[in-house]
Amino acid sequence: MIKRGRVNKKKMSYHINITSMMDMMTIILVFLLKNYSSDPTTLTNVDNLVLPNSISKKPPKEVHLQIAVTNDMILVDDQPISPTNDVRRIPQENPDPEIPKLKEKLEYCYAQEEEMVKMGALNKIRGKVVVQLDKNIEFDVLYKVMHTCGKVGFNNMNFAVMEREG
Amino acid sequence: MANRAMKKQWETQEMDFKTFMSLMVVLIPMLLICAQFAKISIIEIKLPEGRGSQTVKKVAKPPKQDDSNKLLLTAIITDSVVTLGAKGGFLPSVFYKEYHRYVDKDNKAIDFTVPYDPSKQEPPKHPVSGRPMEIFERYDIYLYACTQDYSEVIKCLYNKMGVMVTDANSLPVSEPVNVGDTIFELTNPRKMVVVEDPSQYEIKQLSVYDNLKNNLLNVKERFKDAEDADAIIIAAENQVLYDKIIQIMDAAREADFPSISIAKLRI
Repeated sequence: MIKRGRVNKKKMSYHINITSMMDMMTIILVFLLKNYSSDPTTLTNVDNLVLPNSISKKPPKEVHLQIAVTNDMILVDDQPISPTNDVRRIPQENPDPEIPKLKEKLEYCYAQEEEMVKMGALNKIRGKVVVQLDKNIEFDVLYKVMHTCGKVGFNNMNFAVMEREG
Repeated sequence: MANRAMKKQWETQEMDFKTFMSLMVVLIPMLLICAQFAKISIIEIKLPEGRGSQTVKKVAKPPKQDDSNKLLLTAIITDSVVTLGAKGGFLPSVFYKEYHRYVDKDNKAIDFTVPYDPSKQEPPKHPVSGRPMEIFERYDIYLYACTQDYSEVIKCLYNKMGVMVTDANSLPVSEPVNVGDTIFELTNPRKMVVVEDPSQYEIKQLSVYDNLKNNLLNVKERFKDAEDADAIIIAAENQVLYDKIIQIMDAAREADFPSISIAKLRI
């Protein structure tokens, strides 16, 4: 009896029981699939930029133009345009505060959009712009950026925010 | 022999999970890369065509002076006061004290809230290492309503979910409730609740944003048929931080004022 048992033991091959691991994997898989979004984010992230939290649940749609304002630089479509400190230096009493370099760039983008309308690629000029501002930017800078956008013709403005969890 | 044959029949066959495992090993990292944990969303702002900022393409119709039943609701925020104004007049200003919540960038457990002193420029010190906190570690800015001389913060009753509680006249409740009291929770529309368990409610500092939302809901109820019943203008002073403006926009949208414009407060 003892001998036979030993022989049996030698022949047996050992399996690692991975059933529980499979359970875990399945749960992770389902969770990740749920989180998966097929459309890639239309907004690119900029360094040193913390978006404010908000309850807004509106997803960003297809956009053409992005303006990002960090504490030290204004970027249009990820190209640095003008230092934010230059903007702060524009006197606050100025009733028509525009940012010259930003205006130049935006006018170029607006002209591009007009060109696309002429060619028939777009129905009409949408004048849409997404603004990403750092949450510690003061209103003064925001106002000057908005004013410049408005003057050029980008009237349809979207603010990017971080969705509040929960 | 018969017994042995039976045994063989019932021998368990283990499934071969190996191929499935390799699939998982590939799929999970791929999905992890694509997963979005922090979602970015947007707030739509329309620059007013007729008034405010001048744009190149308009000025077709100048704004008429005063012949409609427009409300021209305006939320005003300065560095010490939040108030609501409309064509007819102003609500009393709500003075606020500012508290900043900091979270350490390396150790999320270090999370503290300090009162903010506008006269002092330097950031607070780290509680452990003593280094000054970075500006991007400021996680939240809380504005608590206080009395006019800034001596004490006004308290109000909140439920466990952090929703402000008002009484039937939509005034903030400042005393503990008893079983059987009728209160209103500040959701949109307001929810009437009969208190069953007073321990579900606690007295906390009254947030200016909640107070504003409360006032906005009142305005919405009273001026339903104004021409611009869904429009609000947010007027801010130059040095007000963008974060506060977003929070006010949130309060406005929660109170059903989706059409938001921005104005500058000139003194």
